[in-house]
Amino acid sequence: MLKYINKFLIFLFITFIIVISLGPFLWVVISSLKTNVEIMSGSFGMPKVLKLSNYATAFKLAPLTKFYLNSIIVAVSATILNVSLFSMAAYVLARTTFKAKNIFRVMFSIGLLIPGASLLQPLYMTIKQTGMYDSLLTLIIVYVAFGLPTTVYIITSYFSTLPRELEESAYIDGAGFFTTFIKIIVPLAKPAFGTAAVLEFLLCWNEFQFALTLTTGNKNRTIPLALYYFKSQFASDYGAMFAATVLVTIPSIIVYIILQEQVVSGLTAGAVKG
Amino acid sequence: MTKNLKWIILFLTPATLFFLYVYAIPIIVLFTTSFTEWTIGTAPKFIGINNYIDLLTNDSDFIKAGINTGIWILLQSTIHVALGVLCALILARKKFYWKFTRTVYMIPNIISSAALGMMFLMIFNPTFGAVNSLIRIMGIKDFGHNWFLSDSTAFLAVTIIWLPFAANITILVLAEMSSIPPSILEAAYIDGAGEVQTNIRIVLPMVHRIIGTSTLLAATSMLQKLDVIMITTSGGPGNTTLNLPMYVYETALRQNNFGKANTAGVYMIIIGLIVVKSINWIYRMDESDI
Repeated sequence: MLKYINKFLIFLFITFIIVISLGPFLWVVISSLKTNVEIMSGSFGMPKVLKLSNYATAFKLAPLTKFYLNSIIVAVSATILNVSLFSMAAYVLARTTFKAKNIFRVMFSIGLLIPGASLLQPLYMTIKQTGMYDSLLTLIIVYVAFGLPTTVYIITSYFSTLPRELEESAYIDGAGFFTTFIKIIVPLAKPAFGTAAVLEFLLCWNEFQFALTLTTGNKNRTIPLALYYFKSQFASDYGAMFAATVLVTIPSIIVYIILQEQVVSGLTAGAVKG
Repeated sequence: MTKNLKWIILFLTPATLFFLYVYAIPIIVLFTTSFTEWTIGTAPKFIGINNYIDLLTNDSDFIKAGINTGIWILLQSTIHVALGVLCALILARKKFYWKFTRTVYMIPNIISSAALGMMFLMIFNPTFGAVNSLIRIMGIKDFGHNWFLSDSTAFLAVTIIWLPFAANITILVLAEMSSIPPSILEAAYIDGAGEVQTNIRIVLPMVHRIIGTSTLLAATSMLQKLDVIMITTSGGPGNTTLNLPMYVYETALRQNNFGKANTAGVYMIIIGLIVVKSINWIYRMDESDI
């Protein structure tokens, strides 16, 4: 008897988890295909005809194409810069010994202790004073830096697991520091690069508050801001608003589904540091 | 080693430059200007710790934001963590649904939290939102409660956007559980321990460190929640859902009171450090082992 109650409770719990995770998203997707009248009636039924024009309207009302393009440019460049530049720092931390090493170690992890919002105004000021306000390059630089602690951590720990003999034999064969890094170490550390890259990409794709603060107008804004745009300006075309929400979330979900293992191992690796 | 020194310098330079520009300079600006009176168009004027005192004694919005953030930190590091751990314990049985559930549960965590906020803004919409529609179907006709605009429910509605979504924790605990040697669990079963007993007496103590880490991440994430609040309530009605990040945003970028905003920023960092220290202490994470 107790066993069945137990089973039933587990069933309830798992159903609850699935419903709260999938429910909101499915409801938004279905609503995005309804007419405004159908939406306002507040029923849970399927739309009579799929109103795909909501998506077209969403693209017309907000500069979604522009925002998408900006997001892709920012996320791809920031991810490439982030993993390629910081893997170098990670290599030094993992493999060399010098006096100031611990200073750098602390420096690169300090970002974990600073709540982002506390830097809103100071970073805004720094960016303004250096003439970098409202440009895609600024967003790229800021996001590359925001990923510093995680990327350095993930890649350093992976490098440390590689056997040192590999480099020693490369040195004996006459390869220098840089050649060894590029030719021997980097190819071996592909999984760590993948993990760090996925996390950095999602950070860039989803970030909202700094994208809002460090840009103005529509020229350099990224896709999460599209929602704010809809909320403040076109609050009456609900179909388009639902469609915009779907358009913003779909890329993250696709990236996650395809690269699930990297995301999972990234979260696990990123947290062991405590 | 010295022959590699130039490479070491070269390899560390990019990361250092990024650190200086995006973290170091802003952090210095944050701390120094927190001791000044500084609004838009004026030069910062040194006023000692006046801002620090003023925020604590004279600013009901800041106090409210602090209290709300505190409540959210507490809820997140208890209920949220418990939910994630419970889910991990269930999924660790590796029944047919485990991979599917793990994948699906991650979705709300993986999408932009601005988008998640937007979804819930619509779900709680008084006229067409899913919640009110459901209540109407269940029998209360004309139910048109405005969840986000009502004093009594705004806090709850905002909390729901992050409290149940603990998939990060589930994944962390699951990963840690897979490193428990199966022989230990078998020994427990042979000794006659039931599943619940094994979980409480053996599994949970063995993964307590990762639960501590999860609690740390969950608690400190409450110092980051600006996007959800901005999209849904902007801290309102009144200041019922104001949190510290929203307070900083309002003070800095709407009221242009930079000095005060940066003092609040320093307080946020201090609160973060206190939270980290206390959770480390509660979970004894500094000790080498149990």
